[in-house]
Amino acid sequence: MLAQIILFDGFDPLDVVAPFEVLSAGSDALGGILDVRLVALDKPGTLVSGTRGLTLTATHVLDPEAPGMIILPGASGPIAGDPDKVRTIPVILAELGETTMPDLMRRALDAPDTLVATICGGGLALGMAGLLEGRAAVTHTQGNDVLEATGTTVVRARVVDDGDLVSAGGVTSGLDLSLYLLEREFGPRIAHAVEKLFEYERRGTVWTARGPEALAL
Amino acid sequence: MTAPSASSAGNSNHSAIILIAGTWDIAMRTPIGTLRAALTFSAVDGTLQGVAEGKTEQVPLRDLRVEAGHASDGSAHLTWGQSITRPMRLELAFDVTVRGNEMTGHSRAGRLPQSSVSGVRRSG
Repeated sequence: MLAQIILFDGFDPLDVVAPFEVLSAGSDALGGILDVRLVALDKPGTLVSGTRGLTLTATHVLDPEAPGMIILPGASGPIAGDPDKVRTIPVILAELGETTMPDLMRRALDAPDTLVATICGGGLALGMAGLLEGRAAVTHTQGNDVLEATGTTVVRARVVDDGDLVSAGGVTSGLDLSLYLLEREFGPRIAHAVEKLFEYERRGTVWTARGPEALAL
Repeated sequence: MTAPSASSAGNSNHSAIILIAGTWDIAMRTPIGTLRAALTFSAVDGTLQGVAEGKTEQVPLRDLRVEAGHASDGSAHLTWGQSITRPMRLELAFDVTVRGNEMTGHSRAGRLPQSSVSGVRRSG
């Protein structure tokens, strides 16, 4: 099974490294059955993050129909500034929409055995590309209103499970997302083993459309 | 389902349609940068219709309404809805005022802050 984490120009490093480490440790706990890869949208190579020029290398190109999971991280960079002059996070995410990302992620969402997961602005990037209309999802707290304006049903939870789409909120929620993915795909014992190793306990309830709807509180 | 290209004239009146007819080059200041588009308003069988043409897509304007302002200043108040997919998926609600060949106002998507809109009518 493949776990593909997407790198793009301006990615947020922690959104990539958190699931990379958690899923790699999960793979070790499973005897190596999960092949965790950093992938690019077009060709393998070094990509520059949005934080102080930190780089990571994509060893493969994204295979949108590969059985397993595909994780789209968010972007890092300035939030303030004139978007015509400064490459702000919204500008980076809009640029991502001009690449092959929307087509590839549409194929991933259509693929029967491929789970799409997003962290932070990754969810917003899918929403901006028009891929989340009517879907339940979350993004960074500063992007949730924009995500809603794209026609997405925003659920302000740390992790939102909408079937073949699992999204998480801001940066650190990538830890919770990837531990949840381990639990969902391989069971709680694997997730727990990684939690113990990382000395991190998940927080928040994973929202999913199950059980009665809550009355107003 | 109604035809996507249908734009209702609503409470528009003929004199107001004349005030806005033509093609307008507009700029919209958004968090992802300044977006540019061309809007064309025309009267088809007395019904106001509009279309917006961006860099990569052409979309009809919905629920187009125009009202003439005070007769003395030749202004018109114009509102419409527009669904865009590029550069991002949004349902936009526009509210602008036209004075002569200049347009000013704003657009809004859901609960997001307003984006300022300005435009100039093409001559000829």
